[in-house]
Amino acid sequence: MPEPALRLVGIEKHYPSAVAVAGIDLDVAEGEFVTLLGPSGCGKTTTLGLVAGFFPPTRGEIWLKGRHVEGLPSFKRDIGVVFQDYALFPHMNAAENVAFGLRMRKVSSSDMAKRVADALELVKLTGLGDRRPLQMSGGQRQRVALARALVINPAVLLLDEPLSNLDLKLREEMRVEIATLQRRLGITTVFVTHDQGEALVMSDRIAVMNAGRIEQIGTPSDIYERPATRFVAQFIGRMNLIAGKVTPSRRVAVDGGVELPIPVDRDITTGSDVHVAVRPERAELRPDAPSSGVTIPCTLRQVLYLGSTRELHVDFDGGQRGIVEMPNDGSASRFEAGALAWFCAPVESCRVLRA
Amino acid sequence: MRSDTTAPWALLCVVVALIYLFSLGPILITAAVSFNETNRSLFPPRGWSLRWWARAFGPEWTQPLVFSLKLSTLTAVLSTVLALPLAFALHRHRFPGREAMIALALGPLMLPTLVTGVGLLQLFQYAGLREHIGFGALLAGHLVICLPFAVRTVSISLQTLPPNVELAAASLGATRWNTLRHVVFPLIKNGLVAGAVFAFIHSFTDVNLSLFLATPGEQPITVKILAFLEFGFAPTLAAVSVITLVLPLVLVAVVERLSGLGDFIYGERRA
Repeated sequence: MPEPALRLVGIEKHYPSAVAVAGIDLDVAEGEFVTLLGPSGCGKTTTLGLVAGFFPPTRGEIWLKGRHVEGLPSFKRDIGVVFQDYALFPHMNAAENVAFGLRMRKVSSSDMAKRVADALELVKLTGLGDRRPLQMSGGQRQRVALARALVINPAVLLLDEPLSNLDLKLREEMRVEIATLQRRLGITTVFVTHDQGEALVMSDRIAVMNAGRIEQIGTPSDIYERPATRFVAQFIGRMNLIAGKVTPSRRVAVDGGVELPIPVDRDITTGSDVHVAVRPERAELRPDAPSSGVTIPCTLRQVLYLGSTRELHVDFDGGQRGIVEMPNDGSASRFEAGALAWFCAPVESCRVLRA
Repeated sequence: MRSDTTAPWALLCVVVALIYLFSLGPILITAAVSFNETNRSLFPPRGWSLRWWARAFGPEWTQPLVFSLKLSTLTAVLSTVLALPLAFALHRHRFPGREAMIALALGPLMLPTLVTGVGLLQLFQYAGLREHIGFGALLAGHLVICLPFAVRTVSISLQTLPPNVELAAASLGATRWNTLRHVVFPLIKNGLVAGAVFAFIHSFTDVNLSLFLATPGEQPITVKILAFLEFGFAPTLAAVSVITLVLPLVLVAVVERLSGLGDFIYGERRA
């Protein structure tokens, strides 16, 4: 296996009042796009800052392209950073901002002019090089920041919530644009965000972080389809979590007494409390019980019409609640609020997670 | 509606008129007095003469004036040079003794300079340096009282520095020195200039402190004026006062034009 472009080994960052990063191991392959996803305060931005060298780790090692860098200051690390607020130099125009890293590397002026022009073209800002940051829109500033980080050809590109200050439409455009650019340049990228949509669309792999640790790392579909923990299941997308207990026959009994034919992992002991996780769009509501799969009797409480989908909110007999999302195929809803029905899902769409 | 707004508006006009009357009036009267023909300080002036002005430009007055300019310029430059690292440390770092350092740096602002002057004189006396007062002692004293102005303005300009620009520079390969030189310094330049100007003006107009530390050969213009006042207010003094007044005004105007100092004086950023 080739050496990873970036390797974090047992990284920790302690502050007097809190532990921001509580032990992270992460390998990012050459050219890979890895996202650190998590709620605010989960340590994702701190982790990025540690890779960038803005502050030293309390413990652990950071390797960049085979180089041991945690003792090196930022300016010796060969990184490119795009900040949430872009952090453009307000006293320089766009071209001077982009040229800054090349100037620091003492690139010859003819070479510099060409590379700056190329970088501006890459981010579609040709002709705007003499604008000051204050004369540019948020989206344009973001492109300048991206060009400034890319022009130096860094070993790794670090993006700290770069899309969060843009309006929704632009944000969705930029997701695709940045991801496309990254694939085309093949630049190793670590992206920090709290927006699961961005993470799912842009990443090769996602590391879901919580309380200073990585809860799960995997491809977007791994994370979405097979969440490893309750936190991941709830953080990404929407999830029905139905509480139950592992029975001696290695099934799950949910409150209300129904036993569900879902296989339980060997490392979850009999009798322990668990949650059955089912995505609302994988579940279905039926008027009578099918012969196979997971079926739980319920009462339909409410039907929400959302345009492209309908949401059916149900109450299970044990008092728990669930949601079924049905695509709007044009037909009228078959259910009325108050109807008795069956909440059904294929076994392979259900996962048993520790409570 | 109309009556609601007229009364406060009229009041504002009166207040502004009074401010102008009391701040500009004495200056205009002093200026007018300097053109008296006789050596009596009459207002309105009788006759018309420039001889008091000729005397004001004689060595008796230009010598302390030049001395003051030298002292204040040096004070301004040194205050700013000291204020920059001090403001940086106070603004960026939390360290034991920070509060004490802030108190020491800004404290002289709250002390009457007269007290500082007496204290400094006694200090020099106890240290056996009484015969060495003069320029060095004046410079030390002026630094103490002018440093707070420089520290304040430089601190404010550091606060206006956009967050992360220094980290951005470092990530792009700039050493600490290059970050300072190419990013921080250009962005806080106006604050440094403003700090220097405030320190200059404060030093140039000081009389309380200088009174104790000046010697007959090394006397700032303000002390000389005060000493001369013992003989009464002559038209020469009026002319000297006008010169002393105009110099810092010209300085502020020039610097304002060159660097947008107005941001610091008026407390707002104009588009």
